[in-house]
Amino acid sequence: MLFLQLLANGLQVGAIYALTAAGFSLIFGSTKIFHFAHGATFAIAAYLFHFALAGLGLHWTFAVAVAALSAVVFGVLLDRLMYAPIQRHEGSFFTVFVASFGIGIVVQNLLGSVFGRGFMSVSTPLSNSIEVMPGLYLSPLNGLAVVVAIVCFVALHFFMTHTFIGKGLRALSENPELVRTFGLSPRRLSTYAFALGSLLVVPGAIFTAAGTGINPAVGHHVMLISLAATIVGGIGSLRGAACAGLLIGVAENLAMWKLGTQWSEAITFAILFFFIIFKPSGFFGRATVS
Amino acid sequence: MTDRTVQVENLVVGYGGRPVLTDISLHINSNEVLCLIGHNGAGKSTLLKAIFGLVPHEGGRILFNGKPAVTEPRAMTMAGMSMVPEGRGVFPGMTVEETMSLGMWAAGVPEKARPERIEWVMSILPMMKKFYRTRAGDLSGGQQQMVSIGRALLSRPRCLLMDEPSIGLAPKLFQDLCGPIRELQQKTGMSILLVEQNVKEALKISDRVVVMKSGRMTWEGQPSELSDNKKLMELY
Ligand SMILES: Nc1ncnc2c1ncn2[C@@H]1O[C@H](COP(=O)(O)OP(=O)(O)OP(=O)(O)O)[C@@H](O)[C@H]1O
Ligand SMILES: [Mg+2]
Repeated sequence: MLFLQLLANGLQVGAIYALTAAGFSLIFGSTKIFHFAHGATFAIAAYLFHFALAGLGLHWTFAVAVAALSAVVFGVLLDRLMYAPIQRHEGSFFTVFVASFGIGIVVQNLLGSVFGRGFMSVSTPLSNSIEVMPGLYLSPLNGLAVVVAIVCFVALHFFMTHTFIGKGLRALSENPELVRTFGLSPRRLSTYAFALGSLLVVPGAIFTAAGTGINPAVGHHVMLISLAATIVGGIGSLRGAACAGLLIGVAENLAMWKLGTQWSEAITFAILFFFIIFKPSGFFGRATVS
Repeated sequence: MTDRTVQVENLVVGYGGRPVLTDISLHINSNEVLCLIGHNGAGKSTLLKAIFGLVPHEGGRILFNGKPAVTEPRAMTMAGMSMVPEGRGVFPGMTVEETMSLGMWAAGVPEKARPERIEWVMSILPMMKKFYRTRAGDLSGGQQQMVSIGRALLSRPRCLLMDEPSIGLAPKLFQDLCGPIRELQQKTGMSILLVEQNVKEALKISDRVVVMKSGRMTWEGQPSELSDNKKLMELY
């Protein structure tokens, strides 16, 4: 039973990682910006959802809207106000990384001082677990997370193949100079990448806030996992990020079954090292992103 | 004075402080094919990129339709310029169909006009129909080049810059392509700046020729003056 329980938890967590990783991968793949503050977007969305629901007592639909809006605004503002100037001055990858990492820390501290550093979680009717079998507790949230992730990935696939912006983002990931030659603006596409990529963290942020709970460092943790998932999945591959996120989520939880809780993060990196050594291009790795 | 589509005056372009174009002046008349030739590294591609706004210029100025050109390909595209870049002008992961639809969106072709516009390009490059749904990365170099040319035509440009369009194309195919492009150019009054290594074929469809050497213009004249090979050898 414990196995089934952990598998169910793993699927939920994996769905969240998958979405967050896909968001990071989308942004990095198309803009080549190492958006480490993607984790901060996650934390902001989670806290504002919590605040709107529990603090302001808004209906959950409004709370979801607040979370989505805050994530998109934060992502786009960072792109416009921080990454764009760095790119204009041809700043190095390292500049981007340090700036982005710094933003992550600032946000973590801000959230801590505004909302407190402790663990918070908001209970919704969906969070209540029911004992479906002796020893197996499932909440509607478990299933919902997986369903929402599937819906998001189907929608994302459709977006990338059937809309102009989606095609533009794919083009940008392959060859930015040619994108300009076509008469498109990489800068403008970059804004779309940030809006869309940031939007993808929202379901995960909400499920985390309503499920296992959040603390100011939550973004940091999710980001680290997403980063591993992006590499395991093959950099730039959305499908790969999705599968790897799911794999890591499940593996992390199943590791608890045999090895104990303290091993859950180590297992993520064990998977990462395995891929780096034996299949550096990842699941669906293409050699194009270099 | 004839109608000048593009006028380049004393243009200076460099990469990271190293000058590549030093004091280039040239113009492209409307309704003409201007052929630009020169040895490898002369700066032909750089000149085309500068005119199209892909690389900034440090000195001189560029006028397009009498107005100062903007260093932004998007603005130049909207103003009626289009470029077939050197090398592979396609995205390997996208199908030809996707490439064309992206190209039309980029060029601001109104939605209603799109199906007809595609038909029009297909009538100029009928071979494209055969691989319309194939990923560009799975096409041969010549087929990719055709897609790249087709894409550049989607906006019905007033001025088309072509950087070695014959690369990858079978000589016969390039010949076959030159005819329709010349015809199209004469019908629409479009101006073309053509950079070519295949000088023989290029001269057949050109109205005027300029020769470049190490970032400078060294000769300007009529294609007929170059048809005798000795002159050409001397200029290179
Ligand atoms: N992106 C770049 N950065 C630095 N130098 C460059 C760049 N592109 C071109 N150059 C340099 O500028 C000079 C001119 O290059 P350009 O590509 O314009 O020549 P070209 O006449 O088109 O040559 P080819 O016939 O080989 O295509 C060359 O010396 C090249 O090394
Ligand atoms: Mg060249």
